[in-house]
Amino acid sequence: MIHQRLQSFLQKRRCTLLGVGPMSLNCVDAAIELSNEHEVPILLIASRRQIDSEQVGGGYVNNWTTAEFARYVIDRDKKGKILLARDHGGPWQNPKESGENLSLRRAMESAKASFRADLEAGFQILHIDPSVDIHGRPRVDEVLDRIFELYEFCWSQAQQLRQEVIFEIGTEGQSGSTNSQEELCYTLNAVQQFCKRNHLPAPSFVVIQCGTRVMEMRNVGSFDSPVRVADELPAEIQLPKMIEICNRFGIFMKEHNTDYLSDEALQWHPRLGIHAANVAPEFGVTESRALVGILEANGLRELSDRFLQLAYDSGKWDKWMLPDTRASDRDRAIIAGHYVFTSAGCRALKEEAGRRLASRGIELERHLKEQVKQGILRYLCNFRMVRSI
Amino acid sequence: MKRVATIVLNRNLPEVTDQLCEHLLHHDGALTDVFVVEAGSDFQRLSRHATWHADWPEALAHGLRYCRGMNYGLGQLWKEGRFRQYETFFLLTNDTELQAGPTLAPLMGILDQHPSVGILSPCAARWGERLLLTEQSTKYFWFIHNNAYLLRRDFVESIFNEDQPDFMNFVFDGSNFRGYGFESELIAKAYANDWAAAITSEVWAGENESHLLNQADLIKTEGYEENLMLYVEEGRRWMRNKYGFNSRWSMQQHVKNFYDSFFEFHPELKHYRI
Repeated sequence: MIHQRLQSFLQKRRCTLLGVGPMSLNCVDAAIELSNEHEVPILLIASRRQIDSEQVGGGYVNNWTTAEFARYVIDRDKKGKILLARDHGGPWQNPKESGENLSLRRAMESAKASFRADLEAGFQILHIDPSVDIHGRPRVDEVLDRIFELYEFCWSQAQQLRQEVIFEIGTEGQSGSTNSQEELCYTLNAVQQFCKRNHLPAPSFVVIQCGTRVMEMRNVGSFDSPVRVADELPAEIQLPKMIEICNRFGIFMKEHNTDYLSDEALQWHPRLGIHAANVAPEFGVTESRALVGILEANGLRELSDRFLQLAYDSGKWDKWMLPDTRASDRDRAIIAGHYVFTSAGCRALKEEAGRRLASRGIELERHLKEQVKQGILRYLCNFRMVRSI
Repeated sequence: MKRVATIVLNRNLPEVTDQLCEHLLHHDGALTDVFVVEAGSDFQRLSRHATWHADWPEALAHGLRYCRGMNYGLGQLWKEGRFRQYETFFLLTNDTELQAGPTLAPLMGILDQHPSVGILSPCAARWGERLLLTEQSTKYFWFIHNNAYLLRRDFVESIFNEDQPDFMNFVFDGSNFRGYGFESELIAKAYANDWAAAITSEVWAGENESHLLNQADLIKTEGYEENLMLYVEEGRRWMRNKYGFNSRWSMQQHVKNFYDSFFEFHPELKHYRI
């Protein structure tokens, strides 16, 4: 039913579905409110770093475990518009699994436990992504075998729990580069055969590398670039081909790393036939910028500096840096901001800021949420999910 | 009689241009005559192989860039009555780097095997398109980055502006000064006139951007970033004014439509479709 509902929505609206990364409490609230206000489905796509089971200690977003996160969303999603989705579920996708140098078998067990927690909590979309392997680079067939094992496991668990679920697959890491047509056909064919053989439902989404890649605070892929990106197929060629293949296999094409694309590029998503697109870090950055902006505009520079310092010191900006980066320390802090929202230091400074801003008639959290809502709305409008505001 | 007229576009980089010309003459001299368009070069910075010099004040001040420069070269051949001597025109900017060995012989061989191809381009080592050219070395595309185009004369004759065979109008639209989107326009015209546009991995050619990055002042052009900004801004304005397209994606759809319909009428060529 979930697949059919999405398909019917896509056909009626001729739109692109939006997956929002739950970067913070405000971001989650913003997504719930928008989906309910405009009565459109929004996928909340939680990575295992952001939200995970109690067994692995939850995630960095609001310190939520999977169950707590799902409960929070389901309780507030009055019209039932949110789809709870696991993004990049699979072995070693939680930092604890790589930190502990788990073997394949242990990492698969841990991934299964995480998926089980997702299903128990009511997640409706599971992205099975076993492309990470800390012990070496697995071959396509090895990745496929891992997909099959996890797919079968998740489906049997869902059956036991009487939980409706649909699947997203993707066999490549998020390189931002482009898949080859042969590889995509091979993968889809293998998965289709596996599902048929085992009487399992076919996956609903496949992740396609469309030439989108997020670094620092911009999209550096070929999708929105007027110049050629080395070693990549131009998006002009890649996209129509991939969409053609997905349509042939009857699977929705999902783009990852859509953050920071221009309005023009986003407006072309539905017209090109891209079924769904994920956006995540941009919304974290939007909130960090909004926080720093409101503090500085109201003479609370010392609080803003404390936040920036905290974020900078976390070092979480590191993986987002371009090799020839010219990012300032401030930029780095903004990039890392959402990772420290739930730290004790940040909570304390936000509490103080909240009190001081309230005396000026400003509700801090409401302001931040509104800014994130604007950010999400840009995608909803450009994707034709929302026609008028 | 030589089958190919190679036109090399130079602006103030005589050494780089000479090197390219000599490479061509050495490896492909039996097949091609080489013509150099001095696109507003300073008088003291002309290539040894200079053929025509666009030396009017505007050209000296701003150069000609690709569209005007190639129009100028082709137009000169037309005016001199040499245009019809050649079967094809190989259009190169001076920053093109060719493979060691013959380039034109294999390209002409491919054109001979593909009578429907009006535009043929070598692949570049760092183009993703090479991944599509592993089993079959030549395929037909709806988008080809401008690098080194070999144009068949019959194709050029099917689209060129006979009434105004000048540097603004001959084949390319000179009003699109820096040329953003001109490739798409050319390819659309090809498929619209029943010609295909192909890339081959049998021949390799690259583009050495370091000249533009490091010698912009010598070339008398804007720096890389500014040039890129102007290229996109002007090109988008051109696209909008000429076609009413507000996005490069509209232009792409336009070309792709012609591409798809080409194969409806040539099912025997579907093998070459990407």
